[in-house]
Amino acid sequence: MKKVLMKGNEALAQGAIDGGCRSYFGYPITPSSEIAEYMARKLPLLGGVFLQAESELAAINMVYGAAATGARVMTATSGPGMSLKQEGISFLAEAELPCLLVNISRGGPGLGGIQPAQSDYFQATRGGGHGDYHIMVLAPNNVQEMMDFAIEGFALADHYRIPVMIMAEGTLGQMMEPVIQRESVPLLTDKPWATDGCKNRKPNIINTLHLSPDVLEQRNMILSDKYQEIKRSEKKAETFMIEDADYIVVAFGLLSRVAKKAIMELRQQGMKMGLIRPITLWPFPDEVIHQAAPQVKKFISIEISMGQMIEDVRLAVNGMAPVEFMGRIGSVPSPQEITRRLAQMVEGEIK
Amino acid sequence: MGKITIFSGGFGSGKSEIALNYALAKHTHDHQVILADLDFVNPFFVSRDLKDSLLQKGIKLLSPEGDLFFGDVPQIPPHMISYLKQDMNMVLDIAGDEVGALVLGYLSQDVKNRDYEFLLVLNPYRPFARELNDVLNLKNKLEKASRLHFTGIVSNPNLVEETTEEIIAKGHRRVVDYATALDLPLRFLTVEEKFFAAFSPEYKSILKKITLYLRPHWL
Repeated sequence: MKKVLMKGNEALAQGAIDGGCRSYFGYPITPSSEIAEYMARKLPLLGGVFLQAESELAAINMVYGAAATGARVMTATSGPGMSLKQEGISFLAEAELPCLLVNISRGGPGLGGIQPAQSDYFQATRGGGHGDYHIMVLAPNNVQEMMDFAIEGFALADHYRIPVMIMAEGTLGQMMEPVIQRESVPLLTDKPWATDGCKNRKPNIINTLHLSPDVLEQRNMILSDKYQEIKRSEKKAETFMIEDADYIVVAFGLLSRVAKKAIMELRQQGMKMGLIRPITLWPFPDEVIHQAAPQVKKFISIEISMGQMIEDVRLAVNGMAPVEFMGRIGSVPSPQEITRRLAQMVEGEIK
Repeated sequence: MGKITIFSGGFGSGKSEIALNYALAKHTHDHQVILADLDFVNPFFVSRDLKDSLLQKGIKLLSPEGDLFFGDVPQIPPHMISYLKQDMNMVLDIAGDEVGALVLGYLSQDVKNRDYEFLLVLNPYRPFARELNDVLNLKNKLEKASRLHFTGIVSNPNLVEETTEEIIAKGHRRVVDYATALDLPLRFLTVEEKFFAAFSPEYKSILKKITLYLRPHWL
């Protein structure tokens, strides 16, 4: 019985535990709540801390406190909760505190609905809070990746001292697939900057207030250099049949799997379609799109939003080809629907 | 005489698929089956998604109404109790874990006045059904929340698309052990249609074939 049938949310929580997370602070919200429930069951047995805070604001500041001590810590929520956490995320980014943030996305704006969405793309990739900062954003597309990206997320967070977000549609959090559990990583990593008791060293201070303009600018330079390094090293995308493609679909998350089905169907009908699936949403994998652009007749960004990632696709294409959009709100479109609409877009082109 | 059949269990144990299949199968024998979708925990992969095809087949669906059809608040369908008091065949699809079973606590008195089966659905490949201790714990919590005692077990061993005959056989043996330990009769073994023939000789009396209605077809 090696394989376990897990919900995306459960797999993510187990991955976080395997990645060394022993502290969870959060406030439940559909469709993310199974992450909190899983942690509430498991962490006390492992000597960890699970705390349901009085609000999202409290939870994210508890994450700040725990991360400052060097603990591997996480929080999970959905769009409305992530909005509330933005101030704290800006603080975490400036203090360079590693942590895992999870957005199991539902439709907005406002309270919106509970159905799956990708409409928090701007919030996640542009830095939803104040100031010049970025966080890394990973977009899994199956339940095994929910687990694996949680493990990887903590490693990236510690390596770059940066908050890492996993963003997945509500459906991916709720659906079940068989997964293989991974080996646990060693719990302790060396964090000489952490405020973990200053025995035989000078005190470490973690602070985000820089009243001197020179110091503030210097801090921004340091962060900017780090973001450039991450852009150089960590862009990640999956490609499918793009070598000879006339038309390239760009889609992330669970939706990329549906898009792939549609592309296979259209290939059988003789249309040369390909797929680029961004795995890191920030840093956005612009080079793979840029390199493909000269040979491509059209890019089509498919999203469960009114069109957000399309702006990054356009920046990557940089005018070399038209970029069109196909979007739905409130549900994951079926492969048949995507096939039909892609075929219409392509036929319009041929005529 | 109508009967109430209740499917309860852990999150993701297969309750909704089994309740749907059970209601659809029963409906061919009896005049009317009412399916009550009492999953208020969240609106993903719930039996009310099949509202239109259930109606077409003449099965009455009781579920949260209006916008709450897509909601996650405990809205008990308005006619629930009046139907429970009548003599009809009802299938109750309950949300997972003790959180989901809480609604049964409220309805339990009306259920107890009727002929009913309260079935614990177990898939031993789910994280909290892999060890006997977890299953015992789950059973106790569900019974406490629902104020009902289980009358039987449904064995639903599967890894969805990765299910094989071996996976089913191995998982089912585990569930048989659970049933023995819990001192509950094994009422059904549920398998997808493609595995039905292979298990039919050995498990004829308890074997039920199920179609996965809620699974996205593009997986």
